[in-house]
Amino acid sequence: MLRLAKQRKVRLLFFSFFLFILLFISFLFSLMIGSFPLSPMEVFENLINPEKNKTISTIIFNYRLPRALFTMITGFSLGVSGGVIQSLTRNPLADPYITGMSSGAALGAAIAFLLPNISIYFIPFFAFIGGISSILLTIFLAKKAKAGPIGFILAGIAIGTLASAILIFIITLAQEKAHGIIYWIYGSFSTSKWSDIIVTFPIVLFCSIFLFINARDLNILLLGEEHASQLGINARRLWILMLLISSLCVSSCVAFSGIIGFIGLIAPHMIRLMISSDNRFVLPLGGLTGAFLLLVSDNIVKSYINPFGEMPISTITSMIGVPFFIYLLMKKGGKYEM
Amino acid sequence: MKCEIIVDGITVYFNSSKILENIKFEVNKGEMLGIIGPNGAGKTTLLKCIARSIIPKGRIIIFGKPIDEYTNSEYSKIVSALLPNWPIGFNMKVYEVVLMGCRNRTESLWWEKEEDIKSTEEFLKLLKVYHLYDRDFTTLSSGEQRRVLIAKSLVQRTDIILLDEPIAYLDLKYRIEIMEILKSLSKNGKIVIITAHEIDLASSYCDKIIVLNNGKIVAMGRPRDIINEKLIYDVYGINATIKWFENYPIIIPKRDIKREDCYV
Repeated sequence: MLRLAKQRKVRLLFFSFFLFILLFISFLFSLMIGSFPLSPMEVFENLINPEKNKTISTIIFNYRLPRALFTMITGFSLGVSGGVIQSLTRNPLADPYITGMSSGAALGAAIAFLLPNISIYFIPFFAFIGGISSILLTIFLAKKAKAGPIGFILAGIAIGTLASAILIFIITLAQEKAHGIIYWIYGSFSTSKWSDIIVTFPIVLFCSIFLFINARDLNILLLGEEHASQLGINARRLWILMLLISSLCVSSCVAFSGIIGFIGLIAPHMIRLMISSDNRFVLPLGGLTGAFLLLVSDNIVKSYINPFGEMPISTITSMIGVPFFIYLLMKKGGKYEM
Repeated sequence: MKCEIIVDGITVYFNSSKILENIKFEVNKGEMLGIIGPNGAGKTTLLKCIARSIIPKGRIIIFGKPIDEYTNSEYSKIVSALLPNWPIGFNMKVYEVVLMGCRNRTESLWWEKEEDIKSTEEFLKLLKVYHLYDRDFTTLSSGEQRRVLIAKSLVQRTDIILLDEPIAYLDLKYRIEIMEILKSLSKNGKIVIITAHEIDLASSYCDKIIVLNNGKIVAMGRPRDIINEKLIYDVYGINATIKWFENYPIIIPKRDIKREDCYV
């Protein structure tokens, strides 16, 4: 067993390394793919020497690089938070999208954008308020209805739909700024800027470190408050703190990317199915998987552009995610308690 | 002699009905205490009060300090408890479940220390479940799960061990084996408190028995002194003959239940 415990550390390093490589490859692809395709050589030359070709450098440094980086940050935050939310609610079907958290965050961010002269640094805060109130409302409704894991999902869908509806309503009222906000409903990275990264990266970094440090205690929280307290954990405080931090993590990204479905659901489960259910694996590797999946989805989006613009990224993530959701529903739907 | 656990008149209400009423007893170092009584007598509730998952009216003092003055982390170092309704989600492995018991001692938040893994191994072997260590917990039989959970409680290495029905679901061999393990722990200076339905095994291994009925203590003392035919009739409503072999009672119920009682 000692050997097994040591193997686990090696496995964590191995899989992290493996995912980093996958991520790096899709990162290179994302610099090449777009309405103006670049060859690998052009990308490398201009990354090393930006003065070589002004047009290509502008494309890479002003558009593709920030877009790819922000996509990875968002995917990472969705993967990590998805794993946390599944464990906290003890519901394998939960994720930031299905619990209504993303829609609430997008609504919060949309309200912030419509306020006159608001600093970009306040937008994640508004998104956070929207996100956390949505998931708290979902948890409250599910507890009140005593409806079990499926009831929790239904409550989440209800809250998410309501938040999206209010979002569309607000967009319609505020006609002049409508064009940008419409993207929130299905998510898009086509307008990602360096400023988005400057705002979200520190938040995601801080939240992820906090969540990783507490990954072992998150395993113990799976046992429920009574058993966890008995092992010396301040279970209620940790539960609330982890919910707050994970929704801050997702909300800050959703504020700029829009609502992205299913990445937070698939990424942690892929790690659970393939490697381990231990949250010390699920959170970091789930984050990397989320970043990878979202970047690949964005590459697909960029490869098929029609004259009217790009398709929303949720088109791709839903096409991957919904079959996976149905699989989980068939396999595990009724098994766990909230 | 100073007592290690003093339960000083605790009362528990649940939705205005009394579950426990004015329970008073003391336990000394190195004692094994058995709590017996019919279903719904309040055995588990009493154990939960000592484990701090229910807060009763009245006081419980452990090592000279009221239990609500301990922090969670301090308390987990002196009291371990196997409580009912054990939930397991996301297919945890057996050794992962037992390793969780080490959480009370380690300050390292990420990986367990090598000594924790070694003591996990030791207790898995002690409870004869070592061969299952890499299995999913949910795929085990009830008896195997029970032994894994006892290992999880013991790996906490606390001075006070509370176990709710540790020998339920177990076959004869493991019942005896686990009672032997618990007895040897108490001989080495730990305090072991168990609840049980097996009056015979509880009587032969425990130093002291508390008999609960309707939330009250109806008898308390050395098993040989208190387990008798009248007590069995008063508590369980069963006419029985009791034969003692040294300190092991055999309870032979009289089969006088009428046919019309059986088929309503």
